[in-house]
This record gives sequence, C-alpha cells and structure tokens, in this order.
Amino acid sequence: MNGVPIALYLGLGLFMFTIGVVGVVIRRNPIVIFMCIELMLNAVNLTFVTFARYQMSPVPAGGMARESSMMAGQMMVTFVMAVAAAEVAVGLGIMMAIFRLRQNIDVDELNILRG
Amino acid sequence: MESNGFNLIWLVLALPLLGFLLQALAGQRIEKAVGRRTLGALAVAPIALSFLIAVFLTQRLAGLAPGDRNVVVWGGEWIRISQLNIPFEAIVDPLSMTMVLIITGIGALIHLYATGYMSEEREYARFFTYLNLFIASMLILVLGNNLVLLFIGWEGVGLCSYLLIGFWYTDLANAKAANKAFIVNRIGDWSLTLGLFLIVAALATVFPKVSGDRILSFDTMLPALQSILKDNPALATGIALLLFGGAAGKSAQFPLYVWLPDAMAGPTPVSALIHAATMVTSGVVLLNRMHVVFECSPVASAIVCAIGAFTALFAALIAFGQTDIKKVLAYSTVSQLGFMFIGCGAGAYWTGMFHVTTHAFFKALLFLGAGAVIHAMAHEQDMRRYGKLAKYLPITFGTMLVGALAISGFPLMSGFFSKEAILGAALAGTHAQVDGFAIGEWAGLVGLVVAGLTALYMTRLTFLTFLGNEERWRTAPAEIHHESHAVAFGVSELLDLSDPHGFYKTMDSQAEEDHAHHGLTSDHTPHEVGPSMWIPLVVLAALSVFGGFLLQSNGMFEHWLQPMPLPVLGEVRTEPTTINLTMYSLIAAFAGMILGAIFYYRGLPANQGLDETKWTPLRLWQRNQFGFDQGVTTLAVEGGGDLGRSLWHWIDNGVIDGFVRGIALVATVSGGVLRQIQTGSVRLYALVMLVGVVGFLSYFLVASHLAIAVTGGR
Amino acid sequence: MNGALPAIEITPSLLMVVALAGIAALAAVGVIAFNNPIRSALCLVVNFFMLAALYFTLNAEMIGVTQVVVYTGAIMVLFLFVIMLLNLGAPIVKPEAKEPQTLVGLLLGVVLFGVVGSQLLPPLLSVVKVGAADNYGSPEALGRTLFTQYMFPFEAVSILLLIGVVGSIMLAKRRI
Repeated sequence: MNGVPIALYLGLGLFMFTIGVVGVVIRRNPIVIFMCIELMLNAVNLTFVTFARYQMSPVPAGGMARESSMMAGQMMVTFVMAVAAAEVAVGLGIMMAIFRLRQNIDVDELNILRG
Repeated sequence: MESNGFNLIWLVLALPLLGFLLQALAGQRIEKAVGRRTLGALAVAPIALSFLIAVFLTQRLAGLAPGDRNVVVWGGEWIRISQLNIPFEAIVDPLSMTMVLIITGIGALIHLYATGYMSEEREYARFFTYLNLFIASMLILVLGNNLVLLFIGWEGVGLCSYLLIGFWYTDLANAKAANKAFIVNRIGDWSLTLGLFLIVAALATVFPKVSGDRILSFDTMLPALQSILKDNPALATGIALLLFGGAAGKSAQFPLYVWLPDAMAGPTPVSALIHAATMVTSGVVLLNRMHVVFECSPVASAIVCAIGAFTALFAALIAFGQTDIKKVLAYSTVSQLGFMFIGCGAGAYWTGMFHVTTHAFFKALLFLGAGAVIHAMAHEQDMRRYGKLAKYLPITFGTMLVGALAISGFPLMSGFFSKEAILGAALAGTHAQVDGFAIGEWAGLVGLVVAGLTALYMTRLTFLTFLGNEERWRTAPAEIHHESHAVAFGVSELLDLSDPHGFYKTMDSQAEEDHAHHGLTSDHTPHEVGPSMWIPLVVLAALSVFGGFLLQSNGMFEHWLQPMPLPVLGEVRTEPTTINLTMYSLIAAFAGMILGAIFYYRGLPANQGLDETKWTPLRLWQRNQFGFDQGVTTLAVEGGGDLGRSLWHWIDNGVIDGFVRGIALVATVSGGVLRQIQTGSVRLYALVMLVGVVGFLSYFLVASHLAIAVTGGR
Repeated sequence: MNGALPAIEITPSLLMVVALAGIAALAAVGVIAFNNPIRSALCLVVNFFMLAALYFTLNAEMIGVTQVVVYTGAIMVLFLFVIMLLNLGAPIVKPEAKEPQTLVGLLLGVVLFGVVGSQLLPPLLSVVKVGAADNYGSPEALGRTLFTQYMFPFEAVSILLLIGVVGSIMLAKRRI
C-alpha cells in the first residue's frame, strides 16, 4: 500500500511487544505466558517485514545489495516462525509433563529454586 | 704480648673437656670394668693436672713485667663476617690466672671429696661427667678473650648448674629447684645480652678505626670502650647496669637470689663447688673484666654498692631463721657475694677478687664440712637434731671451726684481710656516688653490721651443730612427715625402700638430699669421714688460715691484680681516714662471736626448737625469706599464668579468632540477606528483568535528550 | 520536535491499515485481559489473522500465508489442544489473585511503551515511501533466496524441527 506511514506498523509492533512483556509478568497461567511470548515474537516479525518493505537506509547495511536487503528481513521472519513452531512444540510438551504431576496450574507454585 | 710459651693454656682447658668426654662416652663401662675408685681417679686427675699446669703458667706470667702481663693466646678462627672477627682466643692475665687457679685447685679438692661422698651413688659416672663439664665451662668463662666466649662459658655453667642441682631428678622438688635456678639465671642472661648488644652498638661508632677487626676481644675492646664512655656517663650507666643485671643473676644478688637456697637440693659437693666457690663468683669476674665501664659511671657503681649492701644485710637476716645447715651456708654465700659487690662498686675491684679467693677457701671448706656432718648423721640436715658432734667428728669440727672463724673475720685469718680491704675501700673511696651522696660510705657501714651478723649466725651454726649440752637426736621426737614418704604415691610398697639415694621419692615440699635412708634413729652413732673427704677439709682449712695473710703480705694480691688495663680512677684508697676500720671490724667480729656463744652455748633455745609454735614471728618471717620468694612466685609464676590465660582468652580467642569468625559471620549474614531475593518465582525474575530494561532505556532517553539539549539539536 | 504532527494524507489504504492494526491491538489486549485461557487463545488467533492481513498490505504475501498456515493453523491449534487436554478451560476457573506485581508490571509496560515510542514514532510519521520492489514478497523471490543464499540455515532449521519433534514426543509420553 502506498502512503502508509511506517510509524503505524512500528507502533503496532511496539504495542504488541509491550503487551507481551506485561503479560509475561502479570499472568500466572503458564499457557497464557507462553502465548504472550508468541505475541512478542510476532511483534518482532512484523517489525522485520516492515523494515524490509520500507528500505529506510540509503545504503543497505552490511554491504549487501538492495535485493538482498529486501529478502533478508523475510528470511529472518521465516526462520523465526520455524523456530517458534519447534519451541512451542517442545515447550508445551514440557508443560504437559510438569502439569501432569500436579493438578494446579500456577507458575508461582514452581519455586523449588527458592533460596 | 706474644703468646709464646703460653699455649699450654689450651691444655688447661682441654683436660677437663677430655675428662668430660671420656666419662660421658665410656664412664659406665670403665666403672664396670675397673671399679669406682679408678673412675674417680680418672675424674680428679684432669683437674689436678690442669691445676699444676696453671701454677706453672702463673709463675711464668709473674715473671713478666707488670705492664706486660696481658697475653692473648690465639686458638683459631671462629666467626668472621666481613669486618667482624671473633676468634677463639684465651687471655692469660692475672685475673684469669687467679680464677683458673681457684677453679682447678679447689675444683680438684672437691672432686677428691666427691669420690668419697658419692661413693654409694648409683650414677657415679654421670655425676663426674657433669662436674668435669662444669670445670671446662667455667674455664672458658674466665679464659675467653672476648665477651662472646665469656657468654658461652656463662651459659655452660648455667647448664651444668641445672644438671647438677637436678642430679636426683626423679624427685620432683629437685627438678623444680633446677628449673628455678636456670630460669632465674636466664633473666640475668637477658640483661647481660642486652648489655653486650649495647656495647657493640657503642663500639660501632669507632669500629673502623680500631686496630684490626677483633672488636670484641678484651685487649682491643676495653681501651676503645674507655675512650667512648669517658665522656658519655649515661651510656656507661646503661651498659653497666645491664651487665650488672647479668652478674646479679649469676651471683645471686637481690632480687635474683631466689634460686640459690633452692639449689641446695643438689649434692653437697655441687653446692660447694658451684654455689660457693666458682659459679656464683662469675658475676664478680665479669665486673672485674668490664671495670672500665663501671669506672666511667659513678651512678652504676653506686647502685652496685647499694644492692650489694642490701643483699648482704637481707641474706644475713634470713640466715637466722634457717634450721637446715646447708641453707644457712647458702644465705651466707649470698651475703658474702654482696660484700664482693660492695667492693667492686666502691671502685676497688681487686678487693672483690680477693674476697672471691678467700671466700672460695672458707666457704668450700664450710660446705664440705657440712657435707661430712650430713654424711655422718645419715643425711639429716636439720640442725635442731645435731648437738655435741665435736666428740664424734673431731676433724670435721676442727676444720669447720677454722672456717667459721675465717668467715667471721677473726684477726689474721683470710676472711679478716679480705673483709677489711672491702670495707676500707667502701668507706674510703669516693667513686660510688650519686649526686654527691656517698653510697659507698653507707654501704661500708652496712657491711660492718653484716660482718657482725655473719659472726653471729656462724657461731650459732657452730654451737648448734658441734657444741651445746646435749645430743639432741637421741631425744628429739621422730619426724612426723616420715610416714608421708610411704603413702604419698601409694606405690612405695612396691618399691625397694632400701634403695640408697633412691630414685623413687615422693613429692615432699622441701628438697632434701636423701629421704629413703633417713636412718637417723635415736641410737645412731656418727662416725668420722674417710680420708678422701677429710684431706680436702684440712687443705682448705690451712688455706683459710694462712691464705689471706700470705696473699696480702706486702700488698701482693693488690699489685698482682692491679695493672688491669687502664684504670680511670687511679689509686683507690683503702684506708679510711674518718674511722678506725680495724678497730670497728674487730669489734663487730668479736661481738658477733661472743653474743653467739652467749645465746647458744647451752644448745638449742626453746624458741628455735622443733616445736615451731614457739618461734617468734620475726624468726618465722626470717625463715620465710621475709615473704620475698613467695611474693615473686605469686607475682611472676602465677601472675604470668593468669596473664597468659587472660591474653589467650581475650586476644587470641576473642580478637584473632573472633576476627576470623567474624569474616565467616559476615559471609553468613550477607548470604542470608541476599537469599531473600531468590524467591524461586520466575515471574519475579522476569519482572526484575523488565525493570532493568526499562531503567536502561530510560537512562538512555534522558542522556540523549540532555546531549541534544546541550548541543542545541533539533 | 516542534509544532504539530506533520500532515498525513488520508487514503483508503491508510484507513484499512489503521483498522487492521486496531483490531490486532485490541486482540492483543484481550490475550492478557481474559481470565479464561481459551478466550486468550482465541484472541491470539484473531491477532495472528490481522497480522497476516497486515503482511499482505506490506506485499509480503508468502510471509502472510506462512503466518496463517503455521501460526494460526498449527501453533494456535496446538495451544488449544493443550488447553483442553489439561482441562484448563473449565468454566469454574479460579480467578488469579490480585497482587502488587500486576500493578508494577502494568506501570512498567506503560513506561516502556512511552520511553521507546516517544523516541521512535514521531520522527517516522512522515516516512511513507517504500523502498522495496513490489514483488519482493512473492513465493518465487522468497524461494529463490531461501534455496540459494540461505541454504545452510534452511537445512539447519530442518534439523532443528526434527529435534523438536523427537523432543516433544519424548516429553509428552507417559512412559519412556
């Protein structure tokens, strides 16, 4: 689309990221915490694609060609998605393993590391 | 001063050492092989030979001109550190030869006596080993040409004194007495060492200029010291007092005399040799050697005089409260040593040496005689059980009477001459002064009083032992504390109580020579001693009678010792002009003797008898050394223990260990505080991370705004 | 920063983007606001869909499709399955207790947004020109780059996914 200020996308990314951070700190349900982590990852993805689209620097960073700098952001997003998928799988597996042992789901109960 | 012809002095030193080595390594074997008499002869022979060689060397020395009588005999390299050279050297001069003659001569006589006295002793060889070692050490002390060799001898005699006092070491009281002697001596040694260091420090100022580098050798050191100290009386006083501290330790002056009475726990020959004739005179020898220091300091000399006089009086008073014959003689020794220091303090050092010589004669005689009495009375030492022994022990009585008269200052006996010389020097001399207050004169007057007291207590001893009107041991009640021997440890039933000079003794309070054979029954008949014991007695008696007269005829002794290098004072007058010394000293001596005869001619007075409840408080206090020994013990020994304990508790345990524990405590406490942060709650950690991030970003925001505002940006 | 915001031209595309972004933002808030985890998950699904639409507005079509397929199609489904498996969506859900940490967290979130946003956003309101080619997000372009320049990371990620599969099975099994 034409005429859309970059600040809009970036602002949304920042907003989603902040919401994710706050969610990790506030919520006690581990699944919700995990979802907030995904939110943060998506915010970052959005930012990557935005910058890939709006090539803001006159000369691309790292000495790469303009074509490469266009694709680099998307490559990053691709890989982030792949890793996020793997992470979710494993993380949820861990969660299932832990919470099969206990019946209550509260992150604060996991305080064996208490000094 | 070449040493030609005097190299034999090393033989004098080597013979006792060889005797020591022989007996130490092979003594018991020789004893088993050829018997005790041969071993005894082997012990006496080196000393006698040394004496003969010393006589020969003295004659040769006397043949030299008076100014040349100062021969240094080189022995070998010892310490050589850059500019410091301390070799093995012997000095052959009148002072050292006099002492060598006394040591070897009287030493030989006492060795002979000891072969008889200790003949029933189990550890015969060990005794003579130590005795020969003692002679060797004493010879090193007097012959060494520098202070370091003197100090080696000093320590050596201290060691031998310890070994010999504690000869019967299985009795704890003897071991304690030996320890006391050694430790109190150590205090004196500390003072002496400090004095040596101070001398070296003083000499360091002229060090490079002194000829050669043998800085501590007497022949180079004494002139150098004199030139330094002549203008520096304060330094001289310091050095002198430190040296006197060492002398006071060895020569049993107040307050370091406390070991000498306890040292009577050793065998009587030891007491005679070490604690009467030789070792305790080392202090006087030291003062004679280092007289230049004392001559440069009237204050120090006054202090020496004062302490000598006080000690003389103090010990004489204590002697009246003693009932043990050896203790009376011990305190008498302390008192006479005080006399010697009066003489040295007054500036007439030769009088001190003269009294050393005569005192060696009669005190050794008295001790050996006491030993004969003890031997005859089955090792009973308490005079209250003697009486009328002159009938049974004629030779002993005769010789001891001579000794008692000599020490009391009977005219024309040796003691008379030497005491007159000392008192004359003290009363006439002007050296010992403090701010014009003539301490010397007061010391001399005190000496006169003590002379009278000496006569009195010696007469008491003579009458109680040999005269009187009854043989008290026949009627005296048996000693109550005998039973305690058997039961104190409870093991004596297992022991062979017929063990003569036995080794299995109990922890009785006063060290007595021998308990197990306290066979003094009421029907005991004393018998005279054998020839090996009375020959020395007779020889010493003869010397006591004639020695003083012979030595001082024409002032021979005085001139013999006089050309000691560089006297500062010039002639010291020995004839006081204010009072007629001869008359007063004769009055003192005779008064003492007559009063003694009056008090004691009937024997033991009731208020000094075995029943101690009848004793006057004064006498009890006298017996107890006026409480001094007890005071020192409480203060030093127990006080030291308490101090150590409290230091341990407060400082070692409290501060040092507390510091270490405190570090641990800090770690623990801080850990406990920091532990609160570890809640185990991951959300809290995430929150903290968030706080950190936000803080970080805010900081940069502020910083960048400030930067922009400063640079006048946008 | 002086004066009012610079003039922005209001175009239909701008309005559409604003709408999409607004719904996404609201959905994000909903994720953390609901007590019920199922509702949070569904809000997240909405958020992801909006994001995919936003990717399309940015001409990154391949990414947008991948977002729908992987994130909403796979990941969120997985989340919902787990929620239901662990019976977390029960109507009687214990409300989380109030605690000061919540307030501190919210405050910090606001501060974070304010700090970063105030520096970042205002200068960029005027940037409207795009720099990339319009077909940069096509599958063809993506594929060409992915299989040539980024071959190694691609293979590495495939191994990573393999490990993830194995690991998640191991973790979730009742008996090894």
